[in-house]
Amino acid sequence: MSSNKEFESLALPLLDPLYNFACWLSGDADEAKDLVQESFAKALKAFGSFRPGTNFRAWMFRILRNTFLTSRTGLERRNTSQEDEEGFEDAVVSAETPELALIRRADTELVRNAIAQLSPIFQEVVLLADIEEMKYQEVAEALGIPIGTVMSRLARGRKQIRAHIVATLRTTS
Amino acid sequence: MNCEYRQKISLYADDELSPAEYQQVSEHLRSCDDCSAALLELVEIKKYLRIAGNRFTAPPDLRAAVQKTLHTPEPRSVFWKWGLATAFALALVVTAFIFRAQPREDTLVAELVDQHITTLSSSNPVDVVSTERHVVKPWFAGKLPFTFNPPELTGTSYKMLGGKLIYAHQTPGAELLCQAGAHRVSIFIFQAAGKEDRRPKMGRNLSFTVSDWTEGGLKFYLVTDASADEASHLTSLFWDANKS
Repeated sequence: MSSNKEFESLALPLLDPLYNFACWLSGDADEAKDLVQESFAKALKAFGSFRPGTNFRAWMFRILRNTFLTSRTGLERRNTSQEDEEGFEDAVVSAETPELALIRRADTELVRNAIAQLSPIFQEVVLLADIEEMKYQEVAEALGIPIGTVMSRLARGRKQIRAHIVATLRTTS
Repeated sequence: MNCEYRQKISLYADDELSPAEYQQVSEHLRSCDDCSAALLELVEIKKYLRIAGNRFTAPPDLRAAVQKTLHTPEPRSVFWKWGLATAFALALVVTAFIFRAQPREDTLVAELVDQHITTLSSSNPVDVVSTERHVVKPWFAGKLPFTFNPPELTGTSYKMLGGKLIYAHQTPGAELLCQAGAHRVSIFIFQAAGKEDRRPKMGRNLSFTVSDWTEGGLKFYLVTDASADEASHLTSLFWDANKS
């Protein structure tokens, strides 16, 4: 199989997930299209240096995210997000009493709003772990951060999503 | 809610526990209402996120544009015209390789020291928990494109704690965790770039003792906060076990 064909068979199935991730990151459909196209071109060019046996999906998501971070919107978002991070343990142990009945009333729109209001560093971890269903190791590779950071950001992001859903439903009920 | 298992609930829901831990948490869930409720809630949130988060599908024009990028043939080169450019590029690559080889090795060691620190601070330091090398070694079968021999540590001052799969510089490898007195030692194993063996070399990074060697087509790195003597002894046990 030629290298272009091999790349195509690995990369094309990722088109929808990459576009979805790009839309969430940039918040703009046109910009997301440009990001995906640029990432595919970069990845195809660098495919010769990709080592078989390593995680291709994490590699593609990493290229897309790096492309985004160097874009104008990416730089703006990075400069405006300076959240403090608490530990994984803090984020989990301080969880409140489960409010399953309330959470079950959440509709898709409310959950989307909850994802959208997350700050970038938590949003990208939630998108990869919960929406792309990546393992912690894969998320760590895609974002270039340690697994411990993936765990604490994921716990914190989910906590914020839960808080947003519960607070919105409480005020409307 | 202050159950000691509370922290493991997310790992359980994310399928990130070893089989032994999974079993342990499953048993605990049967008797702990708080943890069961927290798990149920997390599973529901994950389900909602998956549904709501998969929101955008690539439009046909993007798919067409990407396919066009993939099918654009590479321009045919005219040998005589590009001969000089190729020679120049080759010279650049060789120069770049000479200058980059050392820093790349340094960044890998730094990454492995970070990985060792992350392992020490993790509540799940390893994915296969066993003091038995006959349990630890087969766990990696099918997960790595190579195999290795953990040494027999029974009767020595060291103890095997387990291992896990890691990635460094986008390459898969094994991390074995050992106990050396009050200290812990990570041994990282990757496929080597060359076939030639190289005896262990000791160094330091962020005050950690680091030794590395190449043996039988495998590259080994040992990282620990134990003394250089301890590191050297454990290094020789690994060296002997992997002699071809």
